[in-house]
Amino acid sequence: MQRTKFKSAIGVSVLVAALGLVSAPLLAQPAVHAKFDPASEMSIAGIVTYVDWKNPRAHVFVNVSDGSTVTNWAVELESPLVLRGSGWSAASVKPGDRIDVKGIRARDGSRQIWSESMTVAGRPVFTLKDLAPAVPAQKAPAPRGSDGMILLGAASGYWGFPSEHALVEDGVEVDVDSYGQLANLADASKVAPLQPWALALYRHRQERNLRDDPMFINCKPPGGPRQYQSDLGFKFVEDKANQRIFVMIGSGNRNYRIIYMDGRAQVGSVTGDDDNPLYYGRAQGKWEGDTLVVNTRGFNEDFWLTNGGLPHTGGLVLNERFTRTDMNTLQYEVEIEDSGAYTRPWKASWTMQWVPDQEVPIFFCQDNRP
Amino acid sequence: MIKHIQVMLTALAIAVSGSTLAQPRREPPPAGPAPVNAVGRVLLQGADPTDKGVWTPVFGILDPITPYEQIPFQPWSKALYDYRQTRELEPHTRCKASGTARQFLTPYGVEFVELQDLQQIIIFDIGGPHTFRIIYMDGREHPQDWQHTYYGHSVGRWEGNTLVVDSVGFTEQFWLDRRGMPHTDQLHTIERFTRTNKNTMEYRITIDDPATYTKTFDGGFNLRWNQGEELFEYVCQQANYATELMVGAGAESVDRSSNIVP
Repeated sequence: MQRTKFKSAIGVSVLVAALGLVSAPLLAQPAVHAKFDPASEMSIAGIVTYVDWKNPRAHVFVNVSDGSTVTNWAVELESPLVLRGSGWSAASVKPGDRIDVKGIRARDGSRQIWSESMTVAGRPVFTLKDLAPAVPAQKAPAPRGSDGMILLGAASGYWGFPSEHALVEDGVEVDVDSYGQLANLADASKVAPLQPWALALYRHRQERNLRDDPMFINCKPPGGPRQYQSDLGFKFVEDKANQRIFVMIGSGNRNYRIIYMDGRAQVGSVTGDDDNPLYYGRAQGKWEGDTLVVNTRGFNEDFWLTNGGLPHTGGLVLNERFTRTDMNTLQYEVEIEDSGAYTRPWKASWTMQWVPDQEVPIFFCQDNRP
Repeated sequence: MIKHIQVMLTALAIAVSGSTLAQPRREPPPAGPAPVNAVGRVLLQGADPTDKGVWTPVFGILDPITPYEQIPFQPWSKALYDYRQTRELEPHTRCKASGTARQFLTPYGVEFVELQDLQQIIIFDIGGPHTFRIIYMDGREHPQDWQHTYYGHSVGRWEGNTLVVDSVGFTEQFWLDRRGMPHTDQLHTIERFTRTNKNTMEYRITIDDPATYTKTFDGGFNLRWNQGEELFEYVCQQANYATELMVGAGAESVDRSSNIVP
């Protein structure tokens, strides 16, 4: 169900399937174990009453009878995006079908079960697949426009499937899963040079299995580096005529963020967002050779800096570097300056993979909420 | 009674948007001609980087896009529309993207960005969930395997100075306009955007949804150019006054063990 990740000293990650568990696609960010207890395995069988085919998580509702009473259970599944890629269409399971479900139960004891295995008449409804595209054996050079500049985007195609799903300081080795959950809480102090209060808050978020994640509970935006930590990815749209680059974000609520290339001051406009602190901050970009360099400040404190819950303050400044090293690879480097939460500036880096000929997946966290 | 509802709706719109911008913000400057590109075709955006602007609706956003008497309702859709006049919590107020005419009926407005090299026009929303809609201008057709979405699948072309956009593949999770016009996932729309001068864009929409309406019909309104205004970060979820209606608000997990009522 989860991929275990070891970050090596040279910043290259190795994916290892955890013992006995499926390597899941993990397009959807919310941590499964925040809500469901992996130690509480169970099976149910019953009649489907409703299929709620919506992001970020599909649900199948099942009437389960114990002979005298019938109770309705909610079976929570990966997102429709993942399920569709794993062989399921919305019509694969219909109300009235009798299904068997294996999974793990909600921590609060309610009638909710997380499942990655479901059968109708003994036939599996889906088999979770890794949706990342195959990397071509031959590396092609990064494309350039008619002006000779590297192209970070295209009419179709986007950047997804990051090599890292959590922010960990370069050179540090910790065992962290794709949701940002540490295997050993004792490693918390190694992840980044945290101030004592920030370490305590990070540990608290980890101890609670990430269940307070505002990006999941209330669909708040994935601000900061987190927008580059989702398999759902993002794409760049370069609007050179207006000296700005749009980042179209596949996770969260399909937001966009603007990197201004016109050298403007990093303040708000009186008729717009004034000087409110922002989820995506105020970004100023420039090209240094083939690298897009972006300085962003003016953040609010209403989001987690990363999967896994590293904290930050309103004093946060990000220095990001985007380099398309070949056709299929985007190198991402970020320097985090935030003396309110960290004892010194620190860096992390990873790569993103080009997903050709596809639009950024259409995904809204708000979709399955009222 | 209608007036009373309108007052309530206005109050709600202000509460939800967190502003009093439901009314036009300022008197526009005298209208000159619409800017044109190198081949003389009208632009829906500014002429150059110094000519910035966003489009907002001219009339009150609560006005119907088609007079009530002229909407060819099916019986069920009329009943639902009437019901919605007394239950104004539309999906948009709970941070859902809202397609067709409703996309343009927000107080902060939208920007059109024409990207020649991508052969796309992207409409960037400020309000709602702060998202975007792509109009493909490369002559493609609607795909067969499209997953229904809030904005549907849009393909466009220019007819003279009018941008004509054909869209299908919508979800049913939004209202067509601020008053609550219903639709089904069979909805097909044709929108016409015509910038008649520097400050004015006519918006016309043909609504084709036989499950909801007995025949196709038109609606529309004008949009106003807000000179000098730009996109800015607005996040519906930040301090949404309808959070008590959102699953998970203030809770530790998103509880689906009992039915939720959209």
